[in-house]
Amino acid sequence: MLAHWRSGLPLFLLTTLAPFFAAGHSFENTAIVRTVELGGSVVHVTTTYAVKALEDGASVYTIALGEKEKESTSWLAAKIKGQSVKLHVEQHSLNLDGGVYLYDVNLPAPLKTGGTTNIVVETVQTHVTYPYPEEASQKDGQSLKYESDLLVLSPYDTAVQRTKIRSPFPQIHSYTEPEVEYTQDAAVTKSGATLTYGPYKNIPASSSNQFAAEKQQRIFVHFSYEHPILEITKLERAAEISHWGANLNIQDNINLLNAGPKLKGHFSRLEHQSQSFFQRPAPHMLPGLTLHLPAGIRDVYYYDLVGNVSTSKLRTTSSVPKGSQSNQYSVLELKPRYPIMGGWNYSFTLGWDSPLADSAGWDKESGKWIVGIPVMTLIPGTVVDEEELKIILPEGATDIEFHPPFPALLNRLSTHITYLDTTGRPAITLAYKNLTDKHAGIVYVAYKVPLSAHFKKPVVVATALLGVFALAFVWKRVDTRIQKQK
Amino acid sequence: PPQALHRAIPPFAPYIPVALLPSLAFILLSATFALAFYFSTLPKTTLPVREVAVASTASILGGFGVVALFCSMGVYL
Repeated sequence: MLAHWRSGLPLFLLTTLAPFFAAGHSFENTAIVRTVELGGSVVHVTTTYAVKALEDGASVYTIALGEKEKESTSWLAAKIKGQSVKLHVEQHSLNLDGGVYLYDVNLPAPLKTGGTTNIVVETVQTHVTYPYPEEASQKDGQSLKYESDLLVLSPYDTAVQRTKIRSPFPQIHSYTEPEVEYTQDAAVTKSGATLTYGPYKNIPASSSNQFAAEKQQRIFVHFSYEHPILEITKLERAAEISHWGANLNIQDNINLLNAGPKLKGHFSRLEHQSQSFFQRPAPHMLPGLTLHLPAGIRDVYYYDLVGNVSTSKLRTTSSVPKGSQSNQYSVLELKPRYPIMGGWNYSFTLGWDSPLADSAGWDKESGKWIVGIPVMTLIPGTVVDEEELKIILPEGATDIEFHPPFPALLNRLSTHITYLDTTGRPAITLAYKNLTDKHAGIVYVAYKVPLSAHFKKPVVVATALLGVFALAFVWKRVDTRIQKQK
Repeated sequence: PPQALHRAIPPFAPYIPVALLPSLAFILLSATFALAFYFSTLPKTTLPVREVAVASTASILGGFGVVALFCSMGVYL
């Protein structure tokens, strides 16, 4: 490690920060169990660390993620096993060993020497599976390959660790059988649709680049998957708030991709019809989608590039009070113009109106309106690659504050101009990447609108009408006859 | 925390109830039309007091009427 330091300054930093690196000695992992629930575009990983404190007052536990794992993780949460309170997790900003990312988890209470606890870290990974074989004809099945790191990294010594990979469907075609020095028995065992890599014993502190280069291995699992794999490549959501009409309009522009194996050969309508007649649809074909939209919506529109799409069925429910956690929702069954085969895209626009009272309220103390806008419509098991959420506030809104449920990649304030606007409306744009089921949160925006801003629109129209009247006034007094009357 | 505050505060209520907007649009725009017609019949005078008064009232009523019309037609401003 010393060979990397070229000047005296990093050495000085090293000595002052030495206590932080001693973090490698304040805990010991008695057991690590990682459970991977395989899915189509989204994979859920739950890692349980059974830890023992080696010194008094240890209250910050550090977890490590390898480079590929960190790139594919789009959501991370930690809690103590058996409790539901989320623990505060912070990423280390100083990363001396490039390639391994460290996260600090703040335990609810410091542990004494010898004290034990179980920390459960849940992560959601996206884009870690890919269709294999990459092409499939209309009649073929669908299989995916999942790749991951074999060992769970940790800055502390681990007594025993195992990884369980569970496939949702019974057929597992093949899996890597690695050579691992930490076990005497078979490195991997299979039981039904579950693969167990482990138990691997006595692994030293593994969160260094050297360990990752020498001991870490990649494992692959090839399994069959019987549902179509959905990916939304781009979602543009616009939420427009109207105070005169007491209305919240939400419009989604969705680019849907079937991320399954690309269709080999041409699409045969005959084959498609016979599959639906004998009720044996191909697993990678998407005939339609069922969406759960909010309760109390009206005037729903669904169109694509060609025009309105009439093959849809909507069942609405009446409004529920603002902010209530009810499970009432409206159901929209969408059927695109064509079944979406593997590798095919479909773009459409879906929008609706809902009463503003269902989403916004008036806070008398601060004199602001507070509105809650959902980040996206939850489509289970789907990953949204990119989202742009634009919240358009009424004209003349000031003192704007917004609280997103999780940090956005970038956010900006701009001006949006629409019907009867003069100075334009403030619009907040938030950009997100790799959203999954866990990211279905609500953005809260607080804003003020002075009374004069409310009257801006009627006054603008009145001024225009007054202009017409003035024109008529002048017209009456101007003689437009060609020949003067005698 | 914004979530708890958002749930506790009273829901949004517009100054004019939404159900009244279509009828209001009809009344205001009919009044605007009638006053505009009346304006067109007014004689020319040196001091156009009546013309200015009728034109201003018609404009204000028309302004609110158009906004109410847009909202009742589904273009929520």
